[in-house]
Amino acid sequence: MEEQEKKKIMLVDDEVGFTTLLRMNLEKTGRFEVSIENEAASAIASIRTAKPDLVLLDIVMPGKDGGDILAEMQDDATLSRIPVVMLTALVAREEMSADAVAQSEAMTVLPKPVELEKLMAVIESHLGE
Amino acid sequence: MWDGGVPLQMVNRDGGKPSRHTEALNVIAGERGADMAQKARLLSVILNSMPLAVFVKDARDEFRFILWNKKNAEITGISEGEALGKTDYDIFQKETADYFREVDKMVMDRGELLDIAEEKVLSPTLGKRFVHTLKLPVSNPELGIDLVVGITEDITEVKAAREELKRLDKELSDKEKLVERFDEKLKQSTDELRSTQLQLIQAEKMESVGRLAAGVAHEVKNPLALLLMGVEYLQGGVEPGDDNVKVILKEMREAIERADRIVRGLVDFSSSRQLDLKPAAINSLLEHSLLLVRHELTRNSIRVEKNFEADLPKVLIDSAKLEQVVVNLYMNAIHAMDDAGRGRLTVRTTSTVLKGGDVEHDEGSRSKEEMHAGDRVVVVEILDDGHGIPEDKVGSLFDPFFTTKPTGKGTGLGLTVVKKIIELHRGSLRIQNRENERGVSVRIVLRTVDERKTGFMEKKAKPDVLRIQRETGLSGREDVTRVMGRRSRRNS
Repeated sequence: MEEQEKKKIMLVDDEVGFTTLLRMNLEKTGRFEVSIENEAASAIASIRTAKPDLVLLDIVMPGKDGGDILAEMQDDATLSRIPVVMLTALVAREEMSADAVAQSEAMTVLPKPVELEKLMAVIESHLGE
Repeated sequence: MWDGGVPLQMVNRDGGKPSRHTEALNVIAGERGADMAQKARLLSVILNSMPLAVFVKDARDEFRFILWNKKNAEITGISEGEALGKTDYDIFQKETADYFREVDKMVMDRGELLDIAEEKVLSPTLGKRFVHTLKLPVSNPELGIDLVVGITEDITEVKAAREELKRLDKELSDKEKLVERFDEKLKQSTDELRSTQLQLIQAEKMESVGRLAAGVAHEVKNPLALLLMGVEYLQGGVEPGDDNVKVILKEMREAIERADRIVRGLVDFSSSRQLDLKPAAINSLLEHSLLLVRHELTRNSIRVEKNFEADLPKVLIDSAKLEQVVVNLYMNAIHAMDDAGRGRLTVRTTSTVLKGGDVEHDEGSRSKEEMHAGDRVVVVEILDDGHGIPEDKVGSLFDPFFTTKPTGKGTGLGLTVVKKIIELHRGSLRIQNRENERGVSVRIVLRTVDERKTGFMEKKAKPDVLRIQRETGLSGREDVTRVMGRRSRRNS
């Protein structure tokens, strides 16, 4: 597989351990180049810099909600086309902020813990593979 | 036996020929003349003035009456004139006379005083009376006399008073028993109240466990998500020399510890129904409790500033109950900041020695009584920069079921229970809006282990005794009485 064909995925989640292991799993497939942002506040700037093909976005984070970040992305013409998959450890739908719920109607929301196979299937469907 | 050498002379009232009994009396007197007549009159006046019935019978002459004073006439309704020279059979009914005769004979035979403590008699003039009679034999062979002297006291009033006293005594003891029963009931009610309070505390806790559960589940799901990622990686096959494995195993171990910590925290939090006081470090309790609300803090983007004094003295607390207090206060702070954005929760501990002014500020009279200037205490402060307490609500903070939160966010029992728990620890609690700053400050004062020990000892001793001892420099019951005696002398 050639280097330039690797898809760029960005993980935005404050759980450092989880993002580290998820990156290991994704990179092990040899098909992705993964970057990590653990600070919700810096998420937008990092996405702009990295220009990923897909963002995996956590919902509950200190400082800024995943829903807020998604809304900002959609307001930004350069970022609005990037597909977003949301990950959350929230137990029930009611616990999500109204914003996040509204967004999730159109988005894919995966509950934590998530099976790698299921995550890969969702990522691939968003990347049109 | 009493020697009856009394100089006594009786004059025949009729003034006629001296009868056998007046002769006997004249013999007893052993003297004759005008001087004797004077003495006899004097004795007669004295005898007739006595509040006791006195009579004398001559045992050598069929027990005829030879003396019969005025009081005796009053009780029996028989005059001196009617009685003198007569026997019991002449003036009483046969049954009564039989009884008197039997007693008289017994007295003479035994030669001893007979004390008839109480007899019921029916007086024709006074009605039903109670009397106390002494009968004594007076014999003097030299003078040739054998007499029965009777002294009768009308004890009807005394007896009535005695019975009234007995009745009052019984009434008093009945009342004492009643008081005892009330005391018992009160103690029982106090026990019940205490047990109900503990139940209330427990119920409120289970309610907050419910509210915390979602957050705790979130906190557990994150390490679970990490564990699953680790398992997936390892299951997919590992190349020899893959450095990731080391990192993954380390992360997985930490995730397990984290999940264990949070679950154990919730279990500890919900356990312990009774008050179980043990020396504990307050700093680590405050830290553990933060774990239970971590999710809420994260969700609301609240920064936590910990300002813990190192090497604090231990406090004697029920850790589960105090954790309930702390979690409750954290949750209140978080809810107060949820619309403020970018809140800051400050948790501070300090140790200090109470000054006079500090004691005055404390809420709750009982705490005030038991906290003294000079006590070494630990102060816990929990500060938020939320919307604060509306001025008109400050007074209702501790009222049961008072809440400003929307339905589902609280029972309104939180602070009632918080206050109760702090009272059970004999600590103090103060909640108020911060001065010159947004938000609320909560201040909890807890005794350190050594201070608590002293507190318990003081409580065991009787406070009144202590007070008296302190004021007078004396100890013991006798001394207390003497103090009272001196005062009454001064008063008189």
